Amino acid sequence: MDALNNLAGGFAHVLGGGAVWHALWATLIGIIIGALPGLTATMGVALLTTLTFGMGPNVAMLVLVCVYVGAIYGGSRSAILLNIPGTPASAASTLDGFPLARQGLAGRAMGISTSGSWLGTLFGTLILALFAPSFGEFALQFGSYEMFWVAMFGIIIAGSLSGGDPLKGYIAGFIGLFVATIGQETNHAYARFAYGNGDLAGGLGLLPVLVGVFGVAEVLSAMRGPAVKAVSSKIDSVIPRLSDVTKYWKTILRSGALGTFIGAMPGLGEDIAAWTSYAAAKRASKEKEKFGKGSIEGLMSAETGESACVPGAIIPVLTLAVPGSAPAAVLMAAMMIHGLNPGPMLAITAPEFIYQIVAMLVIADMVKMFYGLVLVRPLLWILLIPRERLMPIVFVLCTVGAFAITSRLFDIWVMLGAGLVGFILRELRFPMAPLVLGIVLGDLLDKNLLRGLVLSGGDVTPFFTRPISMGLCALTLIAALWSIPSVAGLLRRRKPAEA
Amino acid sequence: MSEVEAESPFDGEKAPASPRADLITAALLFVFGVAIVQQSIAMPRFVEQSGTGLTAPGIVPGFYGVMLALLSVVLGVRAIGRGGWAARGPVAKATGDGRRLGLAALLGVLYAGVLVGRVPFWIASALFVFAFTTAFEWDQGPERRARRMIEAALIGIGTGLGVMLVFEKLFLLRLP
Repeated sequence: MDALNNLAGGFAHVLGGGAVWHALWATLIGIIIGALPGLTATMGVALLTTLTFGMGPNVAMLVLVCVYVGAIYGGSRSAILLNIPGTPASAASTLDGFPLARQGLAGRAMGISTSGSWLGTLFGTLILALFAPSFGEFALQFGSYEMFWVAMFGIIIAGSLSGGDPLKGYIAGFIGLFVATIGQETNHAYARFAYGNGDLAGGLGLLPVLVGVFGVAEVLSAMRGPAVKAVSSKIDSVIPRLSDVTKYWKTILRSGALGTFIGAMPGLGEDIAAWTSYAAAKRASKEKEKFGKGSIEGLMSAETGESACVPGAIIPVLTLAVPGSAPAAVLMAAMMIHGLNPGPMLAITAPEFIYQIVAMLVIADMVKMFYGLVLVRPLLWILLIPRERLMPIVFVLCTVGAFAITSRLFDIWVMLGAGLVGFILRELRFPMAPLVLGIVLGDLLDKNLLRGLVLSGGDVTPFFTRPISMGLCALTLIAALWSIPSVAGLLRRRKPAEA
Repeated sequence: MSEVEAESPFDGEKAPASPRADLITAALLFVFGVAIVQQSIAMPRFVEQSGTGLTAPGIVPGFYGVMLALLSVVLGVRAIGRGGWAARGPVAKATGDGRRLGLAALLGVLYAGVLVGRVPFWIASALFVFAFTTAFEWDQGPERRARRMIEAALIGIGTGLGVMLVFEKLFLLRLP
């Protein structure tokens, strides 16, 4: 009953003060950002964070949640119509979305995308509302030792799974962690790696680095690659069909659960959620042969999985201060900028905030559904904007985004440097998710490692012997061992033998 | 997944960087890791203040430096195993156009690093958008070039003024 009251309170709180207007424009911007190839959800949330500086925390969070939800959904537009995923999360949607469009069923494909995405976000939000408050209370038992392992687990799991090459994932994670150490540390106010430079002593701002890695690097990648050939498509009715939903309800539930679970794992994100849901749907399907040739079930699974991942990725942000995906990492940074302190203490300091986030997600989901029905042709025109005209505008917005938070020209240089390094690392096939997670979790890991050592008088055993610590340490080790091919192969070979 | 054409996040191995590139990266990262360790050791330890020295600022970055150095050794060994040491090891196919990349990077640095802060922001942005669009559309040939340049100038001015209005006047943010 308390939960229902809190939820009603959350909606009442969020819906005041022109919330619908903010939700409408922010979701629209999110969908456009997601639909345009080269602009990602992470970049969208990072750029829009700048716009929210002057807003109250609640309106700011509503705007950013709407951008996040909208961008993940928007990516499917270009996936279906152009065979180009608007965001990495929509790559799986191209497999069946584009073949459907080629068969003259672009409208139906978009209807499936809309219904799958809507249900996915709703499913994930339900899981968030049900489990985040109790998990938040459980996380209150976490001390410095446990939080150290949570951060470590985040880096390892993101490194293992987010890019195909765990070794490069770990390296990216540690580079991110190192970046977070630059500047004054908390115990003695000693400026690490500053070399007498006042700007460096202040540390590298999270937002300029993220805008660089996801904005500038994307602009460079987009301008380097071959030009995108825009293809217009005849569009039939985009109204979702009830039969598509009822026929594939098992797929929707499975993809929703998988998407939410993957979202809740630190640093994995929407692309992995979509591919995993797609693979699971294909494995369980009675129509396997249709996958990749215009399968409604395939498209439904990918869309449901990626959209369920959004609320899933916010669960660890609220309960542990560990982001589940790259856009969630930026969202978490925005929460901190607005004075909301995500993490275990949230259950004590602002328990109502979890329900407000639930309300924001539901509102964003509803607005997304509305746009899914009415915003088809205008989006087609937007998709035809040439990158030569779009990318310089994005670059200008990146510059504003990097500068606005502290009004330092130094931050623009940080953005440029981060963009260049991010681009080079990407070219060398280093995944970006662990890098971002490292930058975001660096402070958490740093503080808790030192605090833990001080509390134990230099004894490291509490890191391994406290019950929850021990469990987290074991999980981290398993995740690390699993990424070693020979160990994983050994475990896989043993399974059939046991069966 | 033979019918899968889109780029999956799982198939990072599908188009890996060349072993030679990995070997060079590993060498650079090793030097970077060792440099971090050396700098961390050189940091003050504040033993008198903390009593134990356990709050020394260099502990955490030193740990990261060690990890980076170790992981880069593994990367290097793996790259050698894949033929990175060979005089003519496998070379990854370059994607995209280096000239376009260089131009985009140069214009970006000129704008953000040189113009911004020295010229009013809206003028700097208008110039940048105009130059960027014109430069990248130049290859489309002389036909209708004048028209494209006028359009680029209008987009530039629109961007400069639009950004100023939205960020400075509407959202009350400071621009560079």
